[in-house]
Amino acid sequence: MKVMAQKKDDRRAAARMVREQIAKEQRRRRMIWGGVIGAIVVATAGMIVWVLLQSNRAAEVFTPANANASGNAIVAGTGPVIVEDYIDFMCPHCKTFHDESDAVIKQLVAENKISFVTHPVAYLDRFSTTKYSTRSSAASACAADGGKFTEFSDALFAQQPAEGSAGLSDAEMIAIGRGVGLDDTFEQCVTGGRYLTWAKKVSNDATSAGITGTPTVLVNGTKVQGNTAAILAAVAAATGSSSPSPSAS
Amino acid sequence: MRNWGKTQPWLSLLVRLGLAGVFLVAGLLKAQDLDANKRAVIAYELLPTNVAEIIGVAQPFLEIAIGLFLLLGIATRLMAWLSAIAMVIFISGIASAWARGLNIDCGCFSKGGALEPGQTPNYLPSILWDVFYLALAVFLIIYPVSRFSLDGLLKPGSSKVDIEGESESDGAEER
Repeated sequence: MKVMAQKKDDRRAAARMVREQIAKEQRRRRMIWGGVIGAIVVATAGMIVWVLLQSNRAAEVFTPANANASGNAIVAGTGPVIVEDYIDFMCPHCKTFHDESDAVIKQLVAENKISFVTHPVAYLDRFSTTKYSTRSSAASACAADGGKFTEFSDALFAQQPAEGSAGLSDAEMIAIGRGVGLDDTFEQCVTGGRYLTWAKKVSNDATSAGITGTPTVLVNGTKVQGNTAAILAAVAAATGSSSPSPSAS
Repeated sequence: MRNWGKTQPWLSLLVRLGLAGVFLVAGLLKAQDLDANKRAVIAYELLPTNVAEIIGVAQPFLEIAIGLFLLLGIATRLMAWLSAIAMVIFISGIASAWARGLNIDCGCFSKGGALEPGQTPNYLPSILWDVFYLALAVFLIIYPVSRFSLDGLLKPGSSKVDIEGESESDGAEER
């Protein structure tokens, strides 16, 4: 009997040891597990914070000539009604809208009815292999410095590259600039990338203003459809005149 | 199904890797253009713009993290729950945009934001895909035990310390 009791005790002790060992093993595993999860969570959180800080860090931004008060668009004309246009030189529908409304908008500017405020945003960088949206926006600011923003924009839309292509090279844009009468200063501005940060600012400001796509047209701050008829109607309503401007043909 | 006990961990592996792929691809695509993703979130017009911008930056990295956890099989059931919650949010977001007649790109594997005039939104297929992913996530919530998972490696009793019927942790869920 005694021997059997002794054996029972031994077995109990052995079982307890095994249990303790298992518990220890479990704790170790739990620690590894927690460590791995913790590391990934911390890494993810760190990455998010880093990106947020990065995007909020103020890079040096130059403001081109003929910009609006916020420094995020180029103004043509001095008329009382503000027509704002958010475009990306890479966006096909921006070209369509430009081609369709250009003559009327130029006439409204010439008649001093509107100020035409263009925000050349760079939303579509991923649609070219060379960030054409950003580069063309920056180049248009260089053209604004030379007083030829409208002429240069017209030429860029006329030669709009296909989506997914390399876009126009800096050299091609410089040649286009020369074609509309821009000089060496323009060339240096494009080559030196003076307004690349400005293009980013224009895009960020537009995003924060809730502009989620291009083209977007605002007349005195209210969204209108991107076509001539809608713009004429909105401008007429804003001017308070019953007779909309005759369409230029 | 007689062989359910044997097939289930393999099926769960397939579902786990599929869902991991979805999250990794979606997250990596979005992380490449965070500004575009901000606009995609803003375009839903459900959140104040500044909140939407923060979500737009955080979301791709959270998706990548969920994708990595699922790929390695860490905390599978928790990640399946997060995936299911994410899908419910996506489905409600798209449905609400649809109901409000918004003309937006849902930002599902794409750039997001307002659509150009003349383009029609693609709400229904996006919702159906998300319902499919939701089903995968629910499957993983019910059957989280899968082959080749770190969960399996780290679970007590699944390997060398297999004494005194400790392997019940795996067996119970196989049913």
